[in-house]
Amino acid sequence: MAPTLVAAAVGALLAAALLGAAFDRRSVATVVAAAVAPDLDAVASLVVPGATNALFHALWLPLLALSALYWDTAVGSDSRIRARFGWRGVRVAWVALAAVLVAGIGPDLFGSAGANLLYPLHDAYYRIDGRLVFSTQEGIVQTFVALGAEGPGILPLASPGTTESHAISTFVNPDGRPGLALGADRELSLVRNAWQLVVVAAAVATLGVRFGRRGVTE
Amino acid sequence: MPSTVVHAGFALLLAAALLRDHYDRRALAALLVVVVVPEVDSFLGPIMPGAHRTVGHNLVFPAVGALLLYYDTRIRDGSLVRDRLSERWVAIAWVAVFVHVFAHIALDWTHLDGVNLLWPLRDEFLALDGEILLSTADGFVQTFVDVRIDPETGARSVDAGTTGSTETVHVNNPIQPRDPADITEEPVDRRFPVANGGWRLYLIGLGIFALAARRIQGAGPESE
Repeated sequence: MAPTLVAAAVGALLAAALLGAAFDRRSVATVVAAAVAPDLDAVASLVVPGATNALFHALWLPLLALSALYWDTAVGSDSRIRARFGWRGVRVAWVALAAVLVAGIGPDLFGSAGANLLYPLHDAYYRIDGRLVFSTQEGIVQTFVALGAEGPGILPLASPGTTESHAISTFVNPDGRPGLALGADRELSLVRNAWQLVVVAAAVATLGVRFGRRGVTE
Repeated sequence: MPSTVVHAGFALLLAAALLRDHYDRRALAALLVVVVVPEVDSFLGPIMPGAHRTVGHNLVFPAVGALLLYYDTRIRDGSLVRDRLSERWVAIAWVAVFVHVFAHIALDWTHLDGVNLLWPLRDEFLALDGEILLSTADGFVQTFVDVRIDPETGARSVDAGTTGSTETVHVNNPIQPRDPADITEEPVDRRFPVANGGWRLYLIGLGIFALAARRIQGAGPESE
């Protein structure tokens, strides 16, 4: 899966971009925690076969949270979250949900490992990778959306396999299969390539600027 | 280049993260101009070999810009920028420097032959490529900068991804789709990429998401 550090970095950037007046240390920590939460399914994969990038990378839980949050804050007049945590609580909840989807699941969907979006109802990993180019010789070249692609997926996206055929190696679970492999070599990937390093550096610098300026103004 | 659309996408996310009260359509438009302008060095290619990724893509110009801005707004008695424009545009100018460095130069640094980072002080293209990981077998591993120590002489050589100089490097772009040194009979294919690779589409998506979310969400606690 994409490094957890990258999910945290994108989560931090989203927090800085979207929290508005609710931006402070605690709310940023909450949003970053939400961004890295989906990666916990690697721990579940020690027991559940193939849970990595599937159990918490499926869209069902976030969709459920989305409808519950929408129901509570937008439909009807009395919101429980607003009554208990005020305007801040509502804002942090929405941004945290966005972080789960965009920062937690996004990097895996657009990365090499893929995300099992419809698990457990339909078991197939999906990966969005390809190109969109305008060429004077070939016209529009588009390979992100693959209609009628080979593989187990039902969405029009490339699929690297199912939980059975596509094992994802993580630090927690090096072979991607159930059971503790205590003697195995483990690798904790921090950034897998250069663009991820740029995103992490930009996130660190952004938080530095935002928190630094707060210190000056207060 | 990762296409200008990718730069713009990441720039929008950074702008939303940094502009605070100055976030509005005019500030975003100004930042998008800052993202697009460095690509003009493509047009210098036909008259200056290796100009693309050199003239508009180095850290020297933004560093000089930042120093001038700092001198003008903090050290001098009267500030030209503040008088002509306003405090608001001083803040936006700082965000522009940040966005230029991270959303434009840093991303191009990771791509193909990289950028001519220290031009005009030093003519050397650098490409950022590698990974960082912690391994139970090897400990901390990073492959971005390759430091080698010659076992016989003890001399240290550092390779941060040097790919050449303006003499040898040509980064293809729609203006000059191939290296002028190559002579072929093939028809010219000018390619205008939107996104080559999933992660570039992801960065574009991040920018659009930040823009849309800022539009949908309410202004602040006072609005209710």
